Amino acid sequence: MAKILLPAGWTHGTQTEFDVPDGPLTEVLKGFALAHPAHRRRLLGDDGEPLAYFNVYVDDDPVARADRAAAEIGADSVVVIVPPLAGG
Amino acid sequence: MAAVPGTVLRLGSPPWMARWLESEPQPLPGMWFADETPQIEVEVPAFRIDRCPVTVAEFAAFADATGYVSDAERAGYGMVYGERFWEERAGACWRTPGGPGTDVDGRADHPVVHMSWSDASAYARWAGKRLPTEAEWELAARGVRYRIWPWGDQWLPGAANTAELHAGRLDALDAWLDWWRDTCRTHGPLPRTTPVGTFSPAGDGVHGCSDMAGNVYEWTASPSRLYADDAPCDPALRRVMGHYRVIRGGSWMNFRYQVRCSERMHGDPGGWSNFALGFRCAAPAPARHESGG
Repeated sequence: MAKILLPAGWTHGTQTEFDVPDGPLTEVLKGFALAHPAHRRRLLGDDGEPLAYFNVYVDDDPVARADRAAAEIGADSVVVIVPPLAGG
Repeated sequence: MAAVPGTVLRLGSPPWMARWLESEPQPLPGMWFADETPQIEVEVPAFRIDRCPVTVAEFAAFADATGYVSDAERAGYGMVYGERFWEERAGACWRTPGGPGTDVDGRADHPVVHMSWSDASAYARWAGKRLPTEAEWELAARGVRYRIWPWGDQWLPGAANTAELHAGRLDALDAWLDWWRDTCRTHGPLPRTTPVGTFSPAGDGVHGCSDMAGNVYEWTASPSRLYADDAPCDPALRRVMGHYRVIRGGSWMNFRYQVRCSERMHGDPGGWSNFALGFRCAAPAPARHESGG
């Protein structure tokens, strides 16, 4: 299983680390939002596709917007979601 | 500009601040504030800092003189908080801060918003200044003695432009969301900034700087780093250390806890901005004239 890590500011003291199936980044994010609807508004737009405003790091490497559609998440990968304004 | 004498500053928050935040009726977990600890000693040479954030009129003078196009103008969108969450709104920029149909008429003395780190740095260079470091910013806000807010340790509801100025006391996220939905309905997408210096002198810091608690988030020059390598930090936030730049002061959107002098936020300096984000400038202290002989 891969992992998704969310900022604590989004989860308000609850779970921040989640196991997710590996696969295309876009599908991983959509599947996660489906399984955890509380986080959907921050991750998916009205069209059900991942929003682009947040930054994505896979195993410490930033994934540029233009590269996200083609990005694959391996079984041991950690996907970190961080908004462009973070902290506090 | 305000002149701030050089000193050794204990940057950040003492241990009791984390315990106090956990005990207060605010919705964010203590871990979210851990990046402001432990305190570290930083030598800060004398400097000068703007008494107020850079205004719409000041940034307009820069854009008119140089033809500067901001990152949001170039990208064709800016971040605006919609009814649900942040959204990239087409056409939002410093000239049209809420997007198409909005403007800055009557807001010449408000802080300019939708400023990326590059926009802020470009203005500062043009003005013969620079962005403050985060240590300079915190020293200007609270002085050498630790103060929670620029004026002291007791919250003064009418001394700063925060969400609580508009909504009344806010202790929970649901109350904030209720206020926000009402704000969207009644005020539309225009940022609820106030003219710079509105809360002076009651809201000023010991060095006479205004709007250091709330109104707009302010960029600093400092790359985001933990104060100690082994300091506790939210794991997701830790990932942006070294990549983001420190933002200080909180904004008109925030709770009182997020506009504390030692509160740290971190922003992506790669062209991103939003409708609550501005800056102020700093400059070196004037050179001292040594007497001869």
